[in-house]
Amino acid sequence: MKCESCNKRHATVHLTEINGDEKRERHLCEECAQSLNNPLVKMPTPADILSSLINQVAPEIGEMSKTTCPACGLSYLEFRSKGRLGCPMDYTAFKKGLVPLLEKMHGASQHIGKVPSRAGKELVVKNEILQLRKELDKAVEKEDYEKAAKIRDRIFELSASEDKKDEGTLQQNG
Amino acid sequence: MNCPPAKIKKMRELYSKTGEWLRGTGPESDIVISTRIRLARNLANFPFLHRATEGQRKEVEKLVREKLKEATLTKDLHYVKLSEVSSVDRLCLMERRLISREHAGGDGERGVAFGKSETISVMVNEEDHLRIQVIRSGFELRDAWKTIDEIDNTLEEKLHYAFSPRFGYLTACPTNVGTGMRASVMMHLPALGLAHHIEKVFNAVGKLGLIVRGIYGEGTQALGDLFQISNQFTLGKSEVEILEIMEGVIPRIAGYERMARKALITENKEQLEDRVWRSYGMLKVARMLSSEEAMHLLSQVRMGVNLGLINDVSMETLNELFILTLPAHLQKLEGKEMEANERNVIRASYVRKRLGAFQ
Repeated sequence: MKCESCNKRHATVHLTEINGDEKRERHLCEECAQSLNNPLVKMPTPADILSSLINQVAPEIGEMSKTTCPACGLSYLEFRSKGRLGCPMDYTAFKKGLVPLLEKMHGASQHIGKVPSRAGKELVVKNEILQLRKELDKAVEKEDYEKAAKIRDRIFELSASEDKKDEGTLQQNG
Repeated sequence: MNCPPAKIKKMRELYSKTGEWLRGTGPESDIVISTRIRLARNLANFPFLHRATEGQRKEVEKLVREKLKEATLTKDLHYVKLSEVSSVDRLCLMERRLISREHAGGDGERGVAFGKSETISVMVNEEDHLRIQVIRSGFELRDAWKTIDEIDNTLEEKLHYAFSPRFGYLTACPTNVGTGMRASVMMHLPALGLAHHIEKVFNAVGKLGLIVRGIYGEGTQALGDLFQISNQFTLGKSEVEILEIMEGVIPRIAGYERMARKALITENKEQLEDRVWRSYGMLKVARMLSSEEAMHLLSQVRMGVNLGLINDVSMETLNELFILTLPAHLQKLEGKEMEANERNVIRASYVRKRLGAFQ
């Protein structure tokens, strides 16, 4: 279909104008449509299209786009385009963007499992509690209440020792 | 780059035998060839490798190499600097699964340490600073985990790992973060392939958070009906939980394969026998064999041995042939570089010799 205004180029913009009861269809090429100055036909710029696409796929990018790791200098955008992080610090610097990403990737964003002994006993305990909570859920699901009670007691035991330590650090800090 | 003669001799010794994990022993070994666990670890005070300068890379390599020697993980740990050996040597190490395809093809300062039995290896400067790996013959997840956990503890005393309470062991790629653990089980599934059931298995496995890959890892083809099944997620589940999932799934797949084999033997016995014996015959008489064809034929014969149809060749020999007939190994056995055609002739001749056929 040819553009009804210039009658030369291919019509790619199709408008329906409604004036009262009157309905009118117009078929224009992109240039003629632009010159009509109709706000509806304003073409989005490639940048607009890209950012709307990115927003759909990875909503955190807009917010994180200006973040750069202070340790290695990697920007969040570079990380997202290459898929590789630059240094261990990035996990802290990009935390806000990483958490939803990890949730999507692993279905979780909290580590449960081995802890290096160097990281300290408290962390080992914390992870054990996380692990036990999961087991507790499983036991309840299976209606194994005897086991659940045992796990619950163990969690209380561990949490009590944790709280004591927390108080200790609070006092130190305060 | 030229190798010092002593190193060449040592490398040649390596290629004439295969690692212990190919012995064809261990639980479910009729179907599970081997179990492998790897841990990805990084040093806290260095950038990840792809952001490291040449100098930092060298520093990491030197530091890890020295600590590996101090740690005495096994009494006969052998360290190979990959920048100092030929590309065929690197391919050989890859074919033996001591290093990954990426590590063989990469560049810069990097290395691998492995024990004589080849059940333990540590890649230095692969995608992460350290990739620790343990391989066992058969289905031995617990045993492999116990060993690798101990190695990891030993190394952890000497190296400061990058770790965060929230995200676990920090890795260059977020797909490995958390436990940094990838457990994979190599399975031989010819009957499921013949019965066109393999897709079903893969779909079911996918729902449980496991993935299926070719024998040399990500993006590689499944040759000779060999598949690697491994955990997809590394974050949010403990190492043992991940292993428990696999322990629940792998024996079922093995059971499914056995059922498919049984069905083949009861419903199409002649056809199956014909297929197995033809494959055996081909291996014994062929004058040229491509790597893919050899893998395919060996796969059929392996199934024949498992089903008791063939009993004059050992599982170990077949498992070994899977590795020793690969391109880089053949070139090492012959002691020269060869084009594909020449390799095919040498491969056929080597297979005939190993199977005790007419020359």
